[in-house]
Amino acid sequence: MVANASRVSVAARWLGLAALLFGLIPALLAAIGGGYPFQVAITALIFVTLAVSLNLVTGTAGLLSLGHAGFFGVGAYAAALASTKLGWPFPLTLPLAAVAAAVVGVLVALPTMRLISIYFAVATLGIGEMIHVALLNWVSFTRGPMGIRAIPPIEVLGLDLSGVVGGYYAAAAVAAAGIFAVHRLTHSYYGNALRSLREDDQCAAAMGLNPVRLKIEAFGVSCAIAGAAGAVYAHTASFISPDSFRFEESILILAMIVVGGLGSLPGAVVGAVLLIVLPEALRGIGDFRMIAVGVFMFLSILFQPKGLLGEASAIALFRRQLGAAWRGDIQAGWK
Amino acid sequence: MPDFFDAYFAQQIINGLSLGLVYALVAIGFTLIFGILNVVNFAHGEIYTVGAFAGLLLIVGAAPPLLAVVLFAMAVGAAAGVGLERLAFRPIRRFSDEASLKSRAMREATLLSSLAVSIVTRELMVHFFSGEMQVIPQAALLQEVIAVGPLTLTNGNLFIFGASVVMLGGLQFMLYRTRVGLSIRAVSNNVLGARHVGIDTNRTIVATFAIGSALGAAAGILVGLYNGNIFPYMGFAPGVKAFVAMVMGGLSSIPGAVISALLLGVSESVATDFISAGWKDMIAYGLLVVTLIFFPQGLFGHGRERV
Amino acid sequence: MTAETLLEVTALSRAFGGLRAVDDVSAQIRKGELVGLIGPNGAGKTTLFNLISGFTPPSSGTVVFRGRTINGLKPHQVSRLGMARTFQNLRIFPNMTVFDNVSVGAVGALGYGLRHGFFGGRARAEEISARTWAALERVGLAGVAGELAANLSYGKRKYLEIARALATDPVLLILDEPAAGLNDTETAELARFIKGLHAEGGTILLVEHDMGLVMSICERVMVLASGAKIADAAPAAVQADPAVLEAYLGIADDEEVA
Repeated sequence: MVANASRVSVAARWLGLAALLFGLIPALLAAIGGGYPFQVAITALIFVTLAVSLNLVTGTAGLLSLGHAGFFGVGAYAAALASTKLGWPFPLTLPLAAVAAAVVGVLVALPTMRLISIYFAVATLGIGEMIHVALLNWVSFTRGPMGIRAIPPIEVLGLDLSGVVGGYYAAAAVAAAGIFAVHRLTHSYYGNALRSLREDDQCAAAMGLNPVRLKIEAFGVSCAIAGAAGAVYAHTASFISPDSFRFEESILILAMIVVGGLGSLPGAVVGAVLLIVLPEALRGIGDFRMIAVGVFMFLSILFQPKGLLGEASAIALFRRQLGAAWRGDIQAGWK
Repeated sequence: MPDFFDAYFAQQIINGLSLGLVYALVAIGFTLIFGILNVVNFAHGEIYTVGAFAGLLLIVGAAPPLLAVVLFAMAVGAAAGVGLERLAFRPIRRFSDEASLKSRAMREATLLSSLAVSIVTRELMVHFFSGEMQVIPQAALLQEVIAVGPLTLTNGNLFIFGASVVMLGGLQFMLYRTRVGLSIRAVSNNVLGARHVGIDTNRTIVATFAIGSALGAAAGILVGLYNGNIFPYMGFAPGVKAFVAMVMGGLSSIPGAVISALLLGVSESVATDFISAGWKDMIAYGLLVVTLIFFPQGLFGHGRERV
Repeated sequence: MTAETLLEVTALSRAFGGLRAVDDVSAQIRKGELVGLIGPNGAGKTTLFNLISGFTPPSSGTVVFRGRTINGLKPHQVSRLGMARTFQNLRIFPNMTVFDNVSVGAVGALGYGLRHGFFGGRARAEEISARTWAALERVGLAGVAGELAANLSYGKRKYLEIARALATDPVLLILDEPAAGLNDTETAELARFIKGLHAEGGTILLVEHDMGLVMSICERVMVLASGAKIADAAPAAVQADPAVLEAYLGIADDEEVA
């Protein structure tokens, strides 16, 4: 059957992606040599996870969020506190971080979901900064500006992933899971529902969709993934402080998906890798990281408003790849 | 609990009012630009920083009288505002029809482009001046103590009061008694209509950016000299707070923004009696979120579109 | 008149400030009817429409749809009860394909939630696909299913909106000024299409500004003027009604007879 053949090719493609992420890239990094390339790769993977998660709310559902780093921070602190104070291992702190960020996300989303467009954007900016102020000043709980030190490295069921190479594999696994989850949601009819909210939420409501519920779901899932990225960050960096979860980081994540293409999953991945790896490559001539980010963002808004890999072409790619055509001649449906 | 009539409390009120006037000067720029284009100018905080740096460079270079420093900062701020409009707003603006002018895509694109310009501006300043606080010549600081009865004011307080009142008065005069003011009000009211009666909308928009940015830049140098710290990231907090004041004031109302800015300044200043200084920023962000959720019309009940 | 009553509006009013946009309107629509709602500009047609579909809450009065009182329900709840609408000023999802636009109607009616997205929901997806294709076939847009909606011509966008509404498998279809902006040939084609839908057993309320289309295809016509219902009868009777003529006088007196 055609369906079986397409299912096989789907599996083959995911296997190929896994081989790239867990075989080819680490081999290349090892060939470049030293721990530093792995360090950069871990940062890139954490930001891939963050960009992919932000893309679900901002790119697909159209809720411009300027406070995403706040949820990343909630996850990181949840993992750091649980592991340093309660001695929880990574397999427990990871879901805890995701749940904590999702809970905070849904709580702040409930009252703000009525706001549209730039008003929502500004509300999320306020919320992101509130999270930062809380992390900074709730000293008895978060140790404030001193941050949390000596967060234990990652160990999964006796498997020691404490070095940079181990950290890479953990970060890659979480990034892959995040990509897979967002892929499932956006490349399905659920994705169509979210996109219709972005295009015209009143009209979507007239078609029987509950806009508030869908937005809260998308926001919760997105925050959960950002929280998981936070756990990876806490355990691989071993030290976190409130300054890693500020407006600037939120903007960096946003710039990644703008450059890559709002609503485009491969775009988010490419944008994140580009904005992390490129400034590293430019380090020789000085620290131009944020300047490069700003310039990239500006140029892409002006000259490539759909991003490097626009949503429409990305979706068309996935339809074809997944053999999801309901009919052979027109590739329009989703499975 | 503090005695509500003690000198300390009065002192906090006065400090809060100076702070609020500074927020007001910054908020006016936001409000003018939002009124005319319906967009949020995310680079407005950087204009404030640019004003502070321009003033500082002049002080270090020539040590002129304070008035000259402020006027210079305003001129540089106005020029920066015009450049900002050219770079981040005009390329994205399309005047084809009312719908596309106010469309979400246009608003979000300009929000992002102004954000990008603000990042580049700020990071360039970090690159050239370092991210640290700048050294300000002692003579230029506005920290000379003036005792009024039990109150301890500084000449900075007085200067901020004086300059803000003059600038707010000047703005009112400009908006209601001059041709430029008339065209700004006309374009704010109805862009296409203003165009039909022969108003040059692009020039009016440029004028709005120049005026709003000049006020923001003046606030930047005044605060820099009053607090004694000028650094590339200084624009973020007043930018956000001025934005809060604009939202609380009902988005396009200048009196509303000014009153809200004063309220915000005083509440922040008085709140340090009750909560530690670190938590004080929570007030502005909290007010922002609460206003957006519960008072979408602003605190003073101006009508406005769906938020 | 033995058919079951689908929609019953009783003493419905809505005021905006001092203006009574809809004033004490009562009306009903029975299963299988093709009813027209006309009135001059500003008569309150769109407000009445928004009151019925849950977009605007009424100041007073009730709306009963399929035996349930629906005032106070949200638009998505009204939609799920089987009432589908199009919009006067064409509201498509421009950055989605034609297929995806229409699928939103099917998703809204059949449901495709977070758990379907995560865990497959293959059977539900097949159902949505089938219904989307059927709606696309019905309006003749199946051939351009993969196009971005923004690339369609104005006339085709109208059909796209109708297809999206049909994909919800509505019990009552309300079309808001579908002929606006169409030329005579296109309007005639639209008239044939709407009659076709009706012939298949669909219940349709056609809200129109211009009387031509309504008079030519509807079985019954309601006339709204200044927020009040001034006539409710067969087209011929409505055309002869002096109150209707007066309401339209000087507005459209040479195009009122089709």
